[in-house]
Amino acid sequence: MNKEIEGLISSFYEQGYILNKELATSVFLLNNLEKPLLLEGDPGVGKTMLASTLAGHLKTDLIRLQCYEGLDVGTTIYEWNYQKQLLHIKLFEQEKDKRTLGEEIFGMEYVLKRPLLRSITADKPVVLLIDEIDRADEEFEAFLLELLSDFQISIPELGTIKAVSKPLVILTSNRTRELSDALRRRCLYHWVDFPTKAMEIDIIARKLPEIDAELAGQVVNFIHNLRKSSLQKPPGIAESLDWAKTLLLLNADNITDEIVRNTIGSVLKHKDDIEFVRNRTVQEFLMPID
Amino acid sequence: MVAIDKTFKERLIDFTFYCRERQFVIGPQDTRDAFEIAERGYWLDRKLFHYSLKAIYCKRKEHYDRFDEMFNRFWSRYYEEKLEARKKTVKQLKKEPETDTIIFLGAKFNKPKQQKEEKEAKQTKGANENTRLRFTDFSKVDVADKERLEELAEELFHQMSMRFKRRLEDANKGRIDIRKTIRHSISKGGLMLDLAHRKKRKEKRKVVFILDVSGSMDTYSYYLLRYVMVLKKYFRELEFFTFSTHLTHVTPMLRANREFQVLKEIGANVQSWSSGTKIGESLTEFLDVYGSKFLSQKHIVVILSDGLETGNVTQLKEAVGTIRRRCKTLVWLNPLKGMKDYQPIQKGMVNVMPHLDAFESAHNLDSLLKLEKLLMDV
Repeated sequence: MNKEIEGLISSFYEQGYILNKELATSVFLLNNLEKPLLLEGDPGVGKTMLASTLAGHLKTDLIRLQCYEGLDVGTTIYEWNYQKQLLHIKLFEQEKDKRTLGEEIFGMEYVLKRPLLRSITADKPVVLLIDEIDRADEEFEAFLLELLSDFQISIPELGTIKAVSKPLVILTSNRTRELSDALRRRCLYHWVDFPTKAMEIDIIARKLPEIDAELAGQVVNFIHNLRKSSLQKPPGIAESLDWAKTLLLLNADNITDEIVRNTIGSVLKHKDDIEFVRNRTVQEFLMPID
Repeated sequence: MVAIDKTFKERLIDFTFYCRERQFVIGPQDTRDAFEIAERGYWLDRKLFHYSLKAIYCKRKEHYDRFDEMFNRFWSRYYEEKLEARKKTVKQLKKEPETDTIIFLGAKFNKPKQQKEEKEAKQTKGANENTRLRFTDFSKVDVADKERLEELAEELFHQMSMRFKRRLEDANKGRIDIRKTIRHSISKGGLMLDLAHRKKRKEKRKVVFILDVSGSMDTYSYYLLRYVMVLKKYFRELEFFTFSTHLTHVTPMLRANREFQVLKEIGANVQSWSSGTKIGESLTEFLDVYGSKFLSQKHIVVILSDGLETGNVTQLKEAVGTIRRRCKTLVWLNPLKGMKDYQPIQKGMVNVMPHLDAFESAHNLDSLLKLEKLLMDV
């Protein structure tokens, strides 16, 4: 394996993020091919965390844009600073003619930079995280195309603003809706799956060094069995960690029916899912799986 | 940069075509990226090259799941082919016969070379192959075509779903919201620079699919199931039931993000898959248990069945009549309609025909894709 990729894996490991070789290759290409990386996967598999860890690894800023329905240019790219423009007009309307005033108020200093514009005008490359793109409207995907392919943004009054330094763009999606082919075509793609059993034990041990290895193994077995069951919301890595932390706080040595009954709320977030587990014995979920 | 030899370049282009044949959407930029990573010497490390191509060539989860097998199959196949080609070249150097010999009824005949070329042409895969598969009846798909049909279905259903999504969006911004506009203007010194619009609330489309999974529908139910699963992504209010002798509510099983997992779960939970057909009983059960929840004048009900009823026909007639009265539109999709000279003269179909708003075939990919218009008019 390439030395740079190995370096990436160990640097991420030091920051508490365990990268597998496949994902490490995608991150490596994101940096080398200068193409955005689209990460898809179930909630709680570590997609967002990857971006912040990458920013930590590169010792650069992370600019995060959380998507939601109704996102528009004003909240994502730029907005004119109307108050400042009006103030400028009031201050100089006696001294300057209309034309000069009109030209002056449409300069960069009157632009309020929103995350996307900030990311391309930064002095050094930043990590731009466009989180949960599947929550945004399709029109917003169209806004993004110019940025993702050419790393530039067009502002009608100012023209095209090219990136001073190309940001490393990571897009995440929980796949609640299908993204357009145009957007996918511009990105590298990686499906982030739940970690393997060994990897998840490693993650827990890394985050909670004081946990007993046997208890960590039981937690992971339980969680993996839950993921195989038909639940409304299968637990992610964050839930595994929360549960392991809870068990540590309760000084539990192993998982019993009573402990599950009392603490399952930190793992499952739906009433039906909780009932599903409560109607079964703990042994069913502690069965070893491959 | 590492110089890559001609053979490797050809191999990479072959692989790109191989992926495209399997419905991967790979543009010139992707090919350029693939060459760039090759030139950087990543191809010297098989795993690195594999994962890099995977990140570049895959655009969706479905591609991602298939890629490893394709990569391994292609590159191993390539080596085998190379070896065989080398052996053939050695043989051909000895002598290449002008004709092939065939033995028929004990006598030897020389087959002209042209015939051989025609055979090869028939095996060529491409646009014609896709058209052929698109019109192939699901019940007549042979083992050799199955995999390619699967891939084609996946791609065509995906394209259809994208068209759905675009049409579902409302381009009209609606009328101006005065109160909101005034509120926005406060920060701009009272100037109404940003006009706020009030959008008309979109009426949600509600669809109920009831799929026959009895033995007689075996060859079709798998593809129809996948079709409904694709639609589920775009109709938030889609309910899905299967029946043969019993009715099963499948919607809760469609939650999983992975198609394979969904199919596995449906397979494990659906009662009486591939058994007899009791359409009337099942539809009555649907009316009794779910009717009040999933039937209204906003609902379109789509029944996918061959109509070969083995139960009580009067019950079927009454159930279909009641469903029709309680929903907006009732559509019956019958795979048998795709057969030449088919007439709905079976007892079951004769009784339900007067209650239907539309009666369509659903026997091949093309007929399923044509339903798009029908569903858009809901």
